[in-house]
Amino acid sequence: MHVPLLIIGGGLSGLAAALRFARFIPDVLLLEQHSRIGGLNSYYYRNNRLFETGLHAITNYAAPKVKNAPLNRLLRQLKIKRKELALHQQNQSEIRFPDLESLLFSNDFSLLDSEIESKFPASHQGFHKLLQVIERYDPFKPLPFISTKKILQEHLQDTLLTDMLLCPLMYYGSSIERDMDFGQFVIMFRAIFLEGMFRPGGTIKDLLDLLLKHYTDHGGKIKTKATVKKILHTGKKIHGVLLNDGTEIRCDYILSTIGSEETFTLLDNPSGLETLPRLGFVETIFEIEKSTELKQGHGRTIIFYNTGDHFLYQQPDSFVDFNSGVICMPQNFQDLPESSFKEVRTTHLANYNEWKELLKDKDSYKSAKDDTALTSLLVAEKILGNFAQNIVYRDTFTPLTIERFTAKKNGAIYGNPVKIKDGDIGYDNLYLAGTDQGFLGIIGSMLSGVSIVNQHILPRL
Amino acid sequence: MTRDAIKDLILEIIEDIDEDADFDTLQADKPLRDQLDLDSMDFLDIVMELRKRHKLQIPEEDYPELATLDSCVNYLEPLLADA
Repeated sequence: MHVPLLIIGGGLSGLAAALRFARFIPDVLLLEQHSRIGGLNSYYYRNNRLFETGLHAITNYAAPKVKNAPLNRLLRQLKIKRKELALHQQNQSEIRFPDLESLLFSNDFSLLDSEIESKFPASHQGFHKLLQVIERYDPFKPLPFISTKKILQEHLQDTLLTDMLLCPLMYYGSSIERDMDFGQFVIMFRAIFLEGMFRPGGTIKDLLDLLLKHYTDHGGKIKTKATVKKILHTGKKIHGVLLNDGTEIRCDYILSTIGSEETFTLLDNPSGLETLPRLGFVETIFEIEKSTELKQGHGRTIIFYNTGDHFLYQQPDSFVDFNSGVICMPQNFQDLPESSFKEVRTTHLANYNEWKELLKDKDSYKSAKDDTALTSLLVAEKILGNFAQNIVYRDTFTPLTIERFTAKKNGAIYGNPVKIKDGDIGYDNLYLAGTDQGFLGIIGSMLSGVSIVNQHILPRL
Repeated sequence: MTRDAIKDLILEIIEDIDEDADFDTLQADKPLRDQLDLDSMDFLDIVMELRKRHKLQIPEEDYPELATLDSCVNYLEPLLADA
């Protein structure tokens, strides 16, 4: 078998890349090792219902007429109409550092601006100067690491405000500890604060099915449960792949979305081995009775919180750090169709190695999972009011769960701290897209797939 | 293909990329991208559609030839002579 383009990984970046390519050249094959597509943003069934994984909210909301907004560019590139998605904007979200300060924000940027004006008056002018920097900055230009903390501190002169602005942006898109590269900060600031958050009316499954339908309608092919054993190559020239079941597939180009180190491993190339720690996470889903009215939730969509003295976005020493996290209420988007359930989802930073250690004894792993759920519940109840008595189902994902189902090394959802922005890892006809290319989030990862295909592959075929 | 037909083809492709594209004020000798608010990703669609519809292989170094509607027509006229 021979195809012009072979894509490894059926997550959102791989799917978008495949669809983009198939629009013009249908002869493309997408390989996914799991039985289900979606990667980090997928789903599973329990108690006769579908649970989403990954998706809290989609960043990069844009009104239809804003042509150059990432969301609209992506839809044009994939030839998908907005109305196929049924977009629902967030109600309102919050950055809450209890006993210190709270900032509300929504898809109307003036809310965050007025919150900063009233709660951090001394920093408000500096915040506007920062906005000008953000507006003019080209985050896609390859540059060495620039410390965001330093730039924020210079403009805002306020550690608390710096930490509060960084909290949602780091949690929703930073693969590195303690600080953010300024380019990544600009991307995330635009995606979350200037553009905003939304979700589709259906489930993530509907979105995946829609992408897959467009793809196969163009003639694209997909093979699930297909694990690549090695990438066949002579020097820098790729010939194809060998699958675990012994099948050999030849191709002109490969687009790999499985991560840089993971790709180097398939190439038998040890040069991609890294030393920086990867950030792991735990997530717990609490399904609560539909009639539950959260006493202090105020219909918020997402609450990013921190209870520590300082906000520390870093790998914790213990298995989970409950001092900070994300609390998501996925029912709190505008005009969502009536659903038969409600959820509270919590996310915290976790230490992969500690969980790995726990797994040596199945019982202690399981009880650590229970402890995680219960401690996370207490944290969430402090913010939302009590809802423990309304829980009908709960499930906890550790970094090991995430690694098992998504093949993300160490369960690090944002991948390798070192990003390869141009997708070029030193081969003639193999490129990298997705998490380790560096555009994060659902819209970002899809644009990653599309732009690497546009930049390196389509013009040459 | 006549020059007018090539022009229509390009406009049809652009309309397919962006159904809100406004051709009323379009100047044929000015860059398409600036006038129609197209980015480089959209622009690639023109190249790929020409390939899909007319089996035209336009090398990357020739992309600047497609900058304006006039230059598109000039560049494509010999290539689409038999189309």
